Amino acid sequence: MDFLTSVKLAIYRHFAESSAAPTPQDIARELGSTPSEIQDAYRQLRANRVLLLERDGVTIRMAPPFSGVPTQHRVTIAGVEYFANCAWDALGIPAALHQSGTVYSRCEQTMEPLDLEVSLNGPGPSSWIFHSLVPAAKWWNDLVFT
Amino acid sequence: MLFFRSEERLREWCAARGTTPGPAVSMDQLWGLAAQWYGTRLEPSARRPGPAEMREIFAGLGLTGAFWDPQADGF
Repeated sequence: MDFLTSVKLAIYRHFAESSAAPTPQDIARELGSTPSEIQDAYRQLRANRVLLLERDGVTIRMAPPFSGVPTQHRVTIAGVEYFANCAWDALGIPAALHQSGTVYSRCEQTMEPLDLEVSLNGPGPSSWIFHSLVPAAKWWNDLVFT
Repeated sequence: MLFFRSEERLREWCAARGTTPGPAVSMDQLWGLAAQWYGTRLEPSARRPGPAEMREIFAGLGLTGAFWDPQADGF
């Protein structure tokens, strides 16, 4: 396995196990590398649209579907609370982890809470809807807004 | 990318912002997107879908048209 893939998988394992974004030091310790090498890998993964970094270039804002910062889209799985980047990613976390869980979010117009059980086969019958204001061609122009 | 209780609530939200609603996606369709996009994300071979794969995923869920075209230039 190449180094970049090892870094990517270590990032995702860290999110899956702890629900938090790993620092370059965390990944360097796990892979027996240096923080500088990991920071270079972070930048390459950003260029490949695998990660979104904060302006400091070393803090992970998004490793979709996981969010490195608290959001309105929360997912609990096996007692661990995760934050998702958006409504799509809220269902993406149980899909990525292959585990059932509960999605907590809200209707953006009324603020009515959404409490959605998601099994390995997806959510049960629901009349809620998902909406993206931004067309697919522009999602990565401003991923935080998207 | 947000949740709404219904299409009526979505229209209200868009009207308050002077914008036109995009396509409404059902929760079943959203699960299809999530499972296909992220189902292998923690595996070594995982990669982000390319434009043609994206179109195929969207079309398989009934999501067609320029809005879902990752290379559309009409926006």
